[in-house]
Amino acid sequence: MFKIIIENELRAILYSPKFVATFATCSLLMLLSVFVGIQEYRASVRQYEASLSLADQQLQEASSYSGVNMRTYRAPDPMQVFVSGVQNDIGRFSDINASEALKLTNSVYSDDPIFAIFRFIDFTFIVQVVLSLFAILFTFDAINGERERGTLKLIFSNAVSRAEYVLSKSIGAWLGLLAPLAIPVLLSLMLVSLFKIQLQPEHWMRLAILLAAAVLFFTFFVFLGVLISTLTRHSSVSFMLLLVSWVALVLIVPRAAVMAAGQIVPVPSIAEIEGREDGFAKSQWRTYEQQLAKRWQQRNGEMAGLSPADRQAYRDEHLWQWMEQDDAARTEIQEEINAFRTKLNEDLRNRKAELQRSAFTLSRLSPASAFQLTAMNLAGTNIDLKSRYEDSMASYRSELIAYGRRKQKESGTTGGIRITIDSEAGLNISTGRDKGTLDFSDMPRFQPPRRSLAQATAPAVVDLGLLALYSLLALAGAFVRFLRYDVR
Amino acid sequence: MQDTNVMLEARSLSKRYEDSVLALNEVSFTVEKGEIFAMLGANGAGKTTTINIFFNFIEPSAGEARVDGIVTHKDPLAAKQRLAFVSENVMLYPNFTAIQNLDFFSRLGGRKDYSRSDYHEVLLRVGLQEEAHDKKLRGFSKGMRQKCGIAVAILKDAPAILLDEPTSGLDPKAGFEFMQLLDTLRNEGKAILMSTHDIFRAKEVADSIGIMREGRLVMQKSGAELAAENLENLYLEYMAGKTVEA
Repeated sequence: MFKIIIENELRAILYSPKFVATFATCSLLMLLSVFVGIQEYRASVRQYEASLSLADQQLQEASSYSGVNMRTYRAPDPMQVFVSGVQNDIGRFSDINASEALKLTNSVYSDDPIFAIFRFIDFTFIVQVVLSLFAILFTFDAINGERERGTLKLIFSNAVSRAEYVLSKSIGAWLGLLAPLAIPVLLSLMLVSLFKIQLQPEHWMRLAILLAAAVLFFTFFVFLGVLISTLTRHSSVSFMLLLVSWVALVLIVPRAAVMAAGQIVPVPSIAEIEGREDGFAKSQWRTYEQQLAKRWQQRNGEMAGLSPADRQAYRDEHLWQWMEQDDAARTEIQEEINAFRTKLNEDLRNRKAELQRSAFTLSRLSPASAFQLTAMNLAGTNIDLKSRYEDSMASYRSELIAYGRRKQKESGTTGGIRITIDSEAGLNISTGRDKGTLDFSDMPRFQPPRRSLAQATAPAVVDLGLLALYSLLALAGAFVRFLRYDVR
Repeated sequence: MQDTNVMLEARSLSKRYEDSVLALNEVSFTVEKGEIFAMLGANGAGKTTTINIFFNFIEPSAGEARVDGIVTHKDPLAAKQRLAFVSENVMLYPNFTAIQNLDFFSRLGGRKDYSRSDYHEVLLRVGLQEEAHDKKLRGFSKGMRQKCGIAVAILKDAPAILLDEPTSGLDPKAGFEFMQLLDTLRNEGKAILMSTHDIFRAKEVADSIGIMREGRLVMQKSGAELAAENLENLYLEYMAGKTVEA
């Protein structure tokens, strides 16, 4: 009986004009989104490769080891073709040097704000918005529509059990929606191969899990459609209810969750953080300047009463020592400022992490959020993308600074800018080029953060479980309700 | 002791809905194999409720309906295997052809042994022209859909057929052909329970006739008993409030 009802449901769907519309829309959107995604990805790869060449060129032109400024780019990932996530929202590169703070800047949306208005269409969007709407379209009249047509009564004039019927009806509708998804997905993957996008086995695994999540997501909406159609007598009412539910689940709950979390966990603004950073740095530099002035007074005092020749000889004798003292004091101040900045940023990140946790927990009430979080976690374009890169860049920055110091010591120069003021020679500025040819061959290179399959999948397990749970609850609800449904 | 010829039986069947409306009140009758029992009555008299109880679409508040001795609300699936149904407004799947609809409902009724030629044969038998067999039902008239519905019931080949206002909306010719078809089915040994407003056709074809009013079966007579009576007058008298006959 199962098979007969499923076949009939599938046939009813395949013969209906809405199937043609769904299939055409899904195919068009999916292929278009993958095509655009591929073009974006290839542009990112070109830009990334160009940036690496540029960095090499800059190294050749560098005048000292300490003055190296490495502009470090985020590496493109082929998964961004399917799930753009936050990758267009966060910056693409950061300058890495000893004096400036790390900051990913120049996001795609900041460069081209027009795209930020309507955002890109990717696989996640198609599943989350388009396919869930189609799921509703396929199932809003699954039961009450049959009743309205009179076919439900005729079906139940036969020896058909209600449990069997509601299950096979749900499965039939589910299979009917699987086809408009499966075929465009296969075509999209062919497109990816055609454009020679290198997908590693790990990427294929991620894609497989992503597809499973997409199937679970629209399964929920299929079962929700069946549930609502068993709760109502008229298809017009169930359609309205489902539309309201869709708006709430897809559009309102995720946003409301973030807003509610923002109220629960207050996070200081960037301006506040920068203000505190700036205040501390100013105060530290003021102290440094005062100490420097004292040291110079002391040094001048030591030279008081000396003839100009002796004074010059004394200065030449102690200059290196004084510079080391000043440099050590400056380094100490800079380190204190850096430590303070790190602490502030850590506090900020902790607060933000707490906010994220609260927002994500609340938003998971919506299957749409659960799916989006799964997709972004699997693709690596989730909210951690920024911090992953900033962490990697921070440790690279430390490596780079240590490397600069080591190389300076090896070459026997101080680096930096040397300014001397002399009553006879006047003002003298030298860039202090390190002795000999600069050799950057052993300089550490930035390695983009790696995220293993296990790391990507682990956070997705909760969301996959939730999607399965929501789907089962909807199906169980439809099942229980239909046992007492008036088929007349 | 169970009469082996009795296929359909209502035993003191009562139904009170949640809103306290008493839709059926102690209704009892039997329909034997090879017999047509026509229920007459105004709208709301309880005819459709009786049929709904036989299919277990609703459960009786008291009494029981039996199909071949099976109590319908206790073993509805077994009872339904022995029942075929034709409703007042046959609405099959509009996007399917007549043949596709027949195929689905036949298989649902447990008959998986029919071929396309069997479907064509039955559709011709109920009077649906051949050129319509492979057309979608979307463009069918009510009469054509009704014929498809009857074909579905015939293909199920159940020992009992229940028809709810089957001739409603049929033109006179189609109505006549339908009555002929019922006659054939009776001769094949089917027990037929039919609710109808059509007094003349009921008298013409039925072996016994019952008149229902306000949930009660106020009269039940055999065709032979009615032969000498004016059924229309009788009907109007009972509708006007004549009391139940012994």
